[in-house]
Amino acid sequence: MSAPALIVALYPPAVRERWGDEIGREIAERGARSWPDAIGGAARLWLHPSDWPETAAGQTRRVLAVALFAVTGTDALLLRAAEPATGRWLGLILAGALLAAPRPPSRALRAVAAAAIRTLAAPATAGLALLLLANSGLVDHPAGPARVLLVAAYWAALTFITLRVWALTARIVRMGTAPSRRRLRAALLLVGAGTALAAGQSLLGGALLIAAALLLSAVAALHAGQDLHGR
Amino acid sequence: MHSTDAQMVVLTVLADGPRHGYAINTAIEELTGRRLGPGSLYGALSRLEARGLIEPVTGDADGQDRQRTMRITDAGRTSLRAELEQLARVARAGLRALGADPA
Repeated sequence: MSAPALIVALYPPAVRERWGDEIGREIAERGARSWPDAIGGAARLWLHPSDWPETAAGQTRRVLAVALFAVTGTDALLLRAAEPATGRWLGLILAGALLAAPRPPSRALRAVAAAAIRTLAAPATAGLALLLLANSGLVDHPAGPARVLLVAAYWAALTFITLRVWALTARIVRMGTAPSRRRLRAALLLVGAGTALAAGQSLLGGALLIAAALLLSAVAALHAGQDLHGR
Repeated sequence: MHSTDAQMVVLTVLADGPRHGYAINTAIEELTGRRLGPGSLYGALSRLEARGLIEPVTGDADGQDRQRTMRITDAGRTSLRAELEQLARVARAGLRALGADPA
């Protein structure tokens, strides 16, 4: 994938649909010196969802709900990597995500169930395999390369599960009803508050990189939630 | 350039007639001496379209070159007039304070 195409992919879908080709052409024509402005422009638009034009009614809310689940998944992985005490804020973050969860259409419950089975079968198998391995007694005190391999497998499985849950959410959002603006705003503020508290806890624990990543995520969620209020 | 400045410059250029993104930036370069970056230009176009101040010229979006020609709406003209009048008042006051003749 070329650099202009990568940068265009950073823009919210409504903007990409309208001006993706033109943005890509401008970036290609003006070269690397246009990258900071182009990337900054994409970041500003994500922080201001009320600035997105809509191709279809509810498009902004659908995209935000999917983005919120991506943020929640990333936050959950970061919390897992941080010290255990930080995990106490996960409840608040998950409560926010649940608030933004799309409602599956009642007429398509079978289709939703089928999509859930298709999407979650592989990650469920990966999680189960990991659990069985952990409880088998075969790897009680791994050392050297075996330890590295197991830790890598553990994180790969967690990331895979997170990505598939996110993919399922995106599929249900496309099929069902997007959360209302009010519900979405409350969800963003809850996720933002939970993530900010977790960032503070990480900072106290000395995990600076994780604290910085969580803080960035919190600021983005809180800012987007506040912006929805202003529309 | 601040995002509200970028929006005002885009509106000013579109008040002169419909244009697509590249042509808008060329007109901005003629007006201000420099082009907007892609993030500033298309961010401003998105905000203005979301607020109903500009709109695509019907039928143009499906053109082979995938360029969207945009035009200013009546609400856009009203908003631009108000912004420019306020700016003119500030400019007159500033010039008076500097002892220059606002003319």
